[in-house]
Amino acid sequence: MRSKSYRFVLPTIVVAAFIGATFLLCQQALSAPPDSGSGAASSSAGKQIYESHCAYCHGLAGKGDGIAAAYLSPRPRDFTAGKFKFRSTESGSIPTDDDLLKTISEGLHSTAMPDWKTFISSDSIKLVIGYVKTFSARFANEKPRPFIVGSEPTMTPSRLATGAEVFQRLQCQSCHGVGGTGVGATASELFDDWGNPETPPKLTEPWTFRGGSSPADIYLRFRTGIDGTPMPSYISSATDAEMWDAAFYVTSLGRTPAWKMNADNLKKFYASQDSDARSNPIKRGKYLVDTHLCASCHSTFNADCTMKDGMAFAGGVKIDLYPFGVFYTQNLTSDKETGLGNFTDAEIKRAITTGVTKANGRMLPFPMPWPSYAMLSDEDLNAIVAYLRTLPPVYNKIPPPEHLNIVSYMWGKFQMLILGKVFPGKFYSGNYGISNPSAGKSISDASKGVQK
Amino acid sequence: MKKALKWILRIVVALVVVGFVCFLYFIPPFYIAPPEAFSKPEADAPPSLANITDPAERALAEHGKYIVSTVGCSACHTPIGSKGPTYEKYLAGGLKLSGKVDGAFVSRNLTPDTKVGLGRRTDDQVLRVFRTGLLPEGREALHRVMPWYALSAMTEEDRHAVLAYLRHLTPVSQHIPDPDFKAPMADTASAEEFYPSDYGIAQ
Repeated sequence: MRSKSYRFVLPTIVVAAFIGATFLLCQQALSAPPDSGSGAASSSAGKQIYESHCAYCHGLAGKGDGIAAAYLSPRPRDFTAGKFKFRSTESGSIPTDDDLLKTISEGLHSTAMPDWKTFISSDSIKLVIGYVKTFSARFANEKPRPFIVGSEPTMTPSRLATGAEVFQRLQCQSCHGVGGTGVGATASELFDDWGNPETPPKLTEPWTFRGGSSPADIYLRFRTGIDGTPMPSYISSATDAEMWDAAFYVTSLGRTPAWKMNADNLKKFYASQDSDARSNPIKRGKYLVDTHLCASCHSTFNADCTMKDGMAFAGGVKIDLYPFGVFYTQNLTSDKETGLGNFTDAEIKRAITTGVTKANGRMLPFPMPWPSYAMLSDEDLNAIVAYLRTLPPVYNKIPPPEHLNIVSYMWGKFQMLILGKVFPGKFYSGNYGISNPSAGKSISDASKGVQK
Repeated sequence: MKKALKWILRIVVALVVVGFVCFLYFIPPFYIAPPEAFSKPEADAPPSLANITDPAERALAEHGKYIVSTVGCSACHTPIGSKGPTYEKYLAGGLKLSGKVDGAFVSRNLTPDTKVGLGRRTDDQVLRVFRTGLLPEGREALHRVMPWYALSAMTEEDRHAVLAYLRHLTPVSQHIPDPDFKAPMADTASAEEFYPSDYGIAQ
């Protein structure tokens, strides 16, 4: 009896398991069609991956306004316009799925876009592509107009020479500079379609070409343009062969990157970098301010950690350093009344390198890392000051620091030094400055009235 | 005689009390010591690169040293002891930062220790964190916890220089605990909390 039931039950379980597994596999295969991406199930799977991996920079609604977006340059892509830079499709066309797959898999060189293929399977990336395409109606209404790159011609010296002529004729140097050095006449006045300043890449630094630096990649940029930027398609002003020649010429402009140079060349390279910095201190200063974490504390941020609009470098972040007091970060913009407008160069440098405030107060060595900034060279300090002077004025009146009464201060110090208690420094979101000039004035007038 | 002794005792006790109060009030002497007292140890902390034999490598690392020193990486990556930054553990990590919705993170060991430090990571992995904030485990580093946006704004050449320098730091065997994504905040009204201490575990 028992053995009979076993003989019946066991095969039944095996068959049931087989049917179940087949069913599950089929369902999975059906719900993840490789190229359509419009199925509800795939879209929700794509949405999930998008929200956990992409939204941090590109935003939940794909507007390129994620949590980190305002801190990044170039800004993350806004998907809602359906405009994509790196395509194998005609100028103005939406990209193919393969274009998007390439961008997401390989990342974009020299930007914050990582090579996702290292972390996510290509099937998952395809699901994300399906979801990204839902942000713009263009993908539902239009078909991409793909352009097939013909076979790559062989590079010859004569092709290079023609390429140099084509480069001249197409006025490439007006943005990219003569010889592709990145300092063209119009290079500082370029903006993308979203109003962000656009820096044309130095063609001498092929590792910064976001869409790749092979001749075929560069040829595609000539042929299809970079949508949303001042880089047009040259389809109507150059022949196919000429665009290949120009692409070869551009690849020939590339120099050795610093990390592969020999000692002599590296020394010369750093010397030329230093002399560039001396001749353009504002540019050097911007680079130093952008890379020295100033925005972390001197730009007001919202509760969701996004930067507050229009408050870049306007200070007003509240930092509670119990038991030392409550401090508010300085407005670094050039505003005369509330920013650095009334600071002398020496006062700015003194604050940065010694932590001594304009009112002769002393800053703790943290969180303002002035002991580190003390190691900046004089030239770099001058460059920082020169750049800060160019920040457009933002009125934001910063409150003075608040210190504890002596008893609380001593009690806090006792716990800290004798009992070994660790008190956290606390950072608060929101602006603690007074950003409304009329309100700011009335308060300062009122306090003057009290003093009288 | 006895009276005099009593008075002496009183004076001694009073001096001790006053001394203790002064100690509490002035230590650490942020407000009385000159700024150099704090910037000099910071300037002395980075290792010498004189023993790098390849001159190109040395020049690249020297450039990286200037960047790492002046950016202030040490403010978060050198642990704090009872007497201020523990410079024997220069850039070995161990400070704790809590974010409101994100949990608690201990700053990582940047020294080239091959078991617990950056020596475990490939150049590509480290450069990817600098440029994109994407950690080797595939998680995005939060830009307000680790301000990678600033490294992302650097040129590729400067990021390579930073990496070349970090590879020549003195290795410190300081194990950094994993993030605790559920750690509560001490003060829920604040956005971030920074614990100036050492949460690393010496190996």
